[in-house]
Amino acid sequence: MDYMAAFAISGSGMSVEKLRLDVTALNIANVHSTRGPEGTGYEPLQVISGARQAQLFRSVFAAESLRLAGGAEVLEVRTVGVAPRLVYEPNHPDADAAGFVAYPGINPVNEMVTLLAAMRAYEANVAAFNAAKTMALKALELGGNG
Amino acid sequence: MFGIDSVVSFVTLALDAAALRQQAIANNIANVGSAGYVPLRVNFEEQLAFARGDLTGAAVPAGARPFIETDAAGATAVMLDVEMVKLAQNAVHYQSLLKALDKHLSIMSAAVNEGRR
Repeated sequence: MDYMAAFAISGSGMSVEKLRLDVTALNIANVHSTRGPEGTGYEPLQVISGARQAQLFRSVFAAESLRLAGGAEVLEVRTVGVAPRLVYEPNHPDADAAGFVAYPGINPVNEMVTLLAAMRAYEANVAAFNAAKTMALKALELGGNG
Repeated sequence: MFGIDSVVSFVTLALDAAALRQQAIANNIANVGSAGYVPLRVNFEEQLAFARGDLTGAAVPAGARPFIETDAAGATAVMLDVEMVKLAQNAVHYQSLLKALDKHLSIMSAAVNEGRR
């Protein structure tokens, strides 16, 4: 059994879901931010992930089937592109000429759903990892005590 | 009684299939958030059903080997609950195969030791 491949696949899934969790936490943390890193308003982010092709040296020579299972990877972290939420606060230092402050258009419900989905997916990856670990350890007991 | 070698090689092939299936299921679970991902399956038992006619001796059918393929049923999204069921099923299957192989080897060991421990 190729333990390393099974562990690496589950590990890649865990890191993708971890990043999704981090980005969601970042969005929630910035729900009231009126200034982003470049001075402009903060824009909500989302993680786009996809299936990865295995890049193992061995797979160059191996059958097509081994190249199919390469785990998951983050393709990009991009801005969602939603309009800012305008709140009338004339005394705010970031208010525009009309007295409106642009808060990020973060939808808390969406963020919580993404958060929970990422957590469940992470747990599923941990379960797959544990299954592979149990299988590998059981294989080590082979021929131990008949 | 089947020879030692044929049983061992047959169980080894089934263990390989279960190990490969673990990878396929892990890959499906890892890609639960990937848009457009087609779930992977392991093709093995189908080949055995096809090759069962050849199984008059106790030899592994020639050319039967497990391989990963994309879902033939046309599934286009990973169903996490189904994958988790398959994961548990596959882990138990793998362990039962190991147990069977272990027992087989201990029977052979008993035979070699003329029944003494």
